[in-house]
Amino acid sequence: MTQMNMVQAINDALRHEMRRDDRVVVLGEDVGKVGGVFRVTQGLWDEFGDDRVVDTPLSEGGIVGTAIGMALYGLLPVPEIQFSDFIYPAYDQIVSELAKLRWRSGGEYPAKMVVRTPVGGGIRGGLYHSQSPESLFIHVAGLKVVCPSNPHDAKGLLLSSIRDPDPVLFFEPKRIYRAAKGEVPEGDYTVPLGKAAVLREGTDVTVLAWGAMLYEAVAAADEAKKQGIACEIVDLRTLWPVDIETIVASVKKTGRLVVVHEAPKTCGFGAELVALVNEKAFLHLEAPPARVCGFDTPFPYTLEMEYLPLAHRILPAIVSTARY
Amino acid sequence: MARWEFKLPDIGEGVTEGEIVGWLIKPGDAVKEDQPMIEVMTDKATVTITAPKSGTVVETRGKVGEIVPVHGVLVVFELGEGAGTGTSVGAGAGAGVGASASASAGGHANGSNGHARSDDGPAATAVGDIKESLPGMGGGAGASGGGGVGASAGGGGGAGLSAYFNEKPLATPATRKLARDMNVDLRQVPPSGPQGRVLKKDVEGFRPGAAPATGSTPAPAHPHAPGLASAAAPAPMPAHAPVSIPHGALEERVPFAGVRRKIAQKMAQSKHTAAHFTFVEECDVTALKALRARLKAPAEAAGVRLSFLPFIVKAVVAALKKHPMLNTTLDESTNELVFRKYFHIGIAAATEAGLMVPVVKDADRKSVLDVARDIDRLSNDARSGKVKLEDLTGSTFTITSLGAQGGLFATPIINFPEVAILGVHQMKQRPVVKDGQIVIGEVMLLSLSFDHRIVDGHVGAAFAYDVIGYLENPDRLWLEMA
Repeated sequence: MTQMNMVQAINDALRHEMRRDDRVVVLGEDVGKVGGVFRVTQGLWDEFGDDRVVDTPLSEGGIVGTAIGMALYGLLPVPEIQFSDFIYPAYDQIVSELAKLRWRSGGEYPAKMVVRTPVGGGIRGGLYHSQSPESLFIHVAGLKVVCPSNPHDAKGLLLSSIRDPDPVLFFEPKRIYRAAKGEVPEGDYTVPLGKAAVLREGTDVTVLAWGAMLYEAVAAADEAKKQGIACEIVDLRTLWPVDIETIVASVKKTGRLVVVHEAPKTCGFGAELVALVNEKAFLHLEAPPARVCGFDTPFPYTLEMEYLPLAHRILPAIVSTARY
Repeated sequence: MARWEFKLPDIGEGVTEGEIVGWLIKPGDAVKEDQPMIEVMTDKATVTITAPKSGTVVETRGKVGEIVPVHGVLVVFELGEGAGTGTSVGAGAGAGVGASASASAGGHANGSNGHARSDDGPAATAVGDIKESLPGMGGGAGASGGGGVGASAGGGGGAGLSAYFNEKPLATPATRKLARDMNVDLRQVPPSGPQGRVLKKDVEGFRPGAAPATGSTPAPAHPHAPGLASAAAPAPMPAHAPVSIPHGALEERVPFAGVRRKIAQKMAQSKHTAAHFTFVEECDVTALKALRARLKAPAEAAGVRLSFLPFIVKAVVAALKKHPMLNTTLDESTNELVFRKYFHIGIAAATEAGLMVPVVKDADRKSVLDVARDIDRLSNDARSGKVKLEDLTGSTFTITSLGAQGGLFATPIINFPEVAILGVHQMKQRPVVKDGQIVIGEVMLLSLSFDHRIVDGHVGAAFAYDVIGYLENPDRLWLEMA
């Protein structure tokens, strides 16, 4: 066990898998000599060289398109999109090709890859370095979508993602790239996809969160506890396929649901979670499910801390849901 | 050649039934589109219904005096030319109106106005009445029969369903599940939660058969009197078990129905909801009498019979502007006070059918002459039973002119959900003390009732003295002229 932050844990996972499986290649903007703008791929180029760690031109569509070609050829690419805000030029490649090839070819040419990309706000990144587009990919059938909240899960989930037969969008919450630290096992281990983690058990309100907002949910739950409200906090870890069994079991226990995410509220993943809970746990609901989300505006630069669903906004939702 | 049934349309405002006042067509008539066919009196107004299509009248259903439910069949048409008589529609000529078999229950002659109607009102629709009481507040009609949805006892088919929607209880899904598991009818559980919601503890603590709390909570339950309510009693009735009066000799029974029942419901609702307090003060109307005397002739020249009432309306509007709380209403479903920025003044009028409150709309934007014209038109319409529904709704404050037999003072009942009402008494010459001398004064007493939930005593009093100030110094109204 070693103390690592998220960046180190993901780097460790990539290095581990590249050593284990020589089909794994990394490509993206500045991922090679520089080691990535967040240094996630630092040292990989030194160890694995030009053929397996490729600096690409500034063209996201080209990065994913090239990776699809590599995957069809039999490689296992792990492209990096420097910010998920810049993933949209690659959206057509992801939606039209990547998500469909496994189905379209009857499993013969799965174009298996893991697209890594930093996500979310809170680093004073402004409009184009802060967005959370996860629901755009959850909505696309054929993709898996992952978002870890801590170094241990980041490594274990990335290894699972690389080994999973489906293409995976791997969102790395950049606000906690270095802030989240923890023990990370050396060597091989996986955290299964599609399994949420009950971070804290409670009886009164179920709080669903993932990535960087999990810490805000925890802070809000700590405050709520002072008011006698015991929150059950569920870290989704894999957004899709979502672990609805864990969620429903929790809501059946608490009867109350608060969903937290950074993305704008409208058509955010919270909407789907609330809908699923309504379908599957309707008779257990003691209060209308609440969503604490980003606002339906472009991500603001100056009002970053107002936009994010931080603990001070989560707490009232927890309290009003509990006291409904 | 097609047969076509014309049904009583939903005339709006929650009206669920109407009484046939007069037929303007008869079987065999060729009717043109838009031709007046029938006059129907609802709880609130008489409306003339015209033909939506041209055709030949095969059959008219319902006699004058009968009650027809909304969506009950009124006229059977033969559309197009060649009104060949096919098989008769609605074979039983004496069959009840619409879906309800109630007509056969035998209409009682109503001694006072000659109206006949059956015991059980026909099926009611739920539309509209929900706003009069918080949904989910009552043990209800359907429930009292133990019959659940659509299975209500009594004559009105479908009434159970509408009663259900009228009184659909508010509760979270988990509470509903609990009630279902415990075999508790949520409609019978007095709610204690916000917005009139039934809480889990209400269900857990509910004892079937126990009388619902009477006025003990802010949102009291309104169980219906089963006899009245099994079919069509949309508005809440008093929160007590129905009083049964044994039949006796030398007694005559007439249905408690129509406008009378509506008035009863409204009055009971007001008394049971608003926390009434009444404030009485006298007002020196010497100047007002002089002013009216001066203006009478020019008003007549303009074709207007000028009473004191228009001046009182304008004085009230001016005072309402200074005390906006008096022009509010309480939205109990959201716990919000609604400040109305418009001034629609209801004028209570006694009619043969009973009390009606036609409304002078936008009284703040009308001259004294315009207000006088409105009042004239509205009171004529009300007395002749021709007043339109829209003239009877939407008031924000009501004035009741108590007239020659108004007594010394009174305790008017608020026209709920308004929060205040002004009762105006007859002007009389009385001894008053002026400058240490007893002299003859022109005095009028004002009785104001307020809803103490919303209007504090000093606020109501300040409003009253402002009204009095304007009436004692009517020239001050110039300053308020829009």
